[in-house]
Amino acid sequence: MRRLALPLAVAALLALGALVLLEAIRPAAPPTAADQALQIAAELRCPDCFGLSVAESQTAAAAAIRQQIVDLIAAGRTPAQVRAYFVARYGEWILLLPSSPLAWWLPPAALLVGAGLLAWWLRRGRSAAPPPDQATPSDDLRGRIRDEVEQLDA
Amino acid sequence: MATPASRGTIVRWLVVPIVVVPLAWLLFTGLGRDPRNIPSPLVGHPLPVFAAGTLEGTHFVSAELRGRPAVVNVWASWCPPCVDEHPLLLDLAARHIDDLSVVGIVYQDTADGARGFLARYGNGGWPNVVDASGAIAVNLGVTGPPETFFIDADGIVRARHVGPLTRAVIAAELTALGIVP
Repeated sequence: MRRLALPLAVAALLALGALVLLEAIRPAAPPTAADQALQIAAELRCPDCFGLSVAESQTAAAAAIRQQIVDLIAAGRTPAQVRAYFVARYGEWILLLPSSPLAWWLPPAALLVGAGLLAWWLRRGRSAAPPPDQATPSDDLRGRIRDEVEQLDA
Repeated sequence: MATPASRGTIVRWLVVPIVVVPLAWLLFTGLGRDPRNIPSPLVGHPLPVFAAGTLEGTHFVSAELRGRPAVVNVWASWCPPCVDEHPLLLDLAARHIDDLSVVGIVYQDTADGARGFLARYGNGGWPNVVDASGAIAVNLGVTGPPETFFIDADGIVRARHVGPLTRAVIAAELTALGIVP
């Protein structure tokens, strides 16, 4: 059984990879109005609960927003216009996916800057270590110390 | 000045004010913020138009508010802070009967429940619009009762207060609307 575990795991991973690939290259059907409404609802924050999207929440406010999304799409609004409609009422806060590109680029940028600082700090630590020839006394100095100790002993 | 030791000291003394202090300040102020208290994008813009039946059996149209400042209060009978602020609203409506309109919006509640609330805690006589579908609350960007909007005579939203009203909030917002509180 032990011997089968690795090949089985590899086979399972390969199968999963193939499924993901198939799903990715499968030609997507044009989204229906209901699909679009669900997609938008999943990207809006439920106003009277914590950490849930409008699509997941069971509250009356979420239900009212879902209904308005359906109505707005039926009236011919594009998903971007529907999102803008809710941003105009609740503010950017309603969007679970921030629209500002800064919000997406800042975390990796901060990570890169941090990694750079750490690398600089580590390299600086190595080069700033005292050179060995300075730490150990030269032969000349050794001789002088020996002479002086002998003088004191005498 | 340029020895490694003194340069390290300078860097250390720069890192603290430049990185640590702003980060600590950001995290510390974040602790004290109420996640519900988000500035309303409606402030500075016209009050969204709404129309619906009232508890009193009349039909209310938001255009009726034009011409003088108004206070729009979103409430529900199941909301304890709404009970707390209700005496202040009654007082406000009684004192400013001539220069201010007050309108209630009944949020996620039954008409009977809301009528029971008014019978128990006092009915100020202002119209209470029943938002049966929740569409008016969405239109106003309401996150939960109580919420109060202060509207000027031109129908522009001047402020939104989240949570129960206080005497200080009412005095400040009425002054901003040009009314002596």
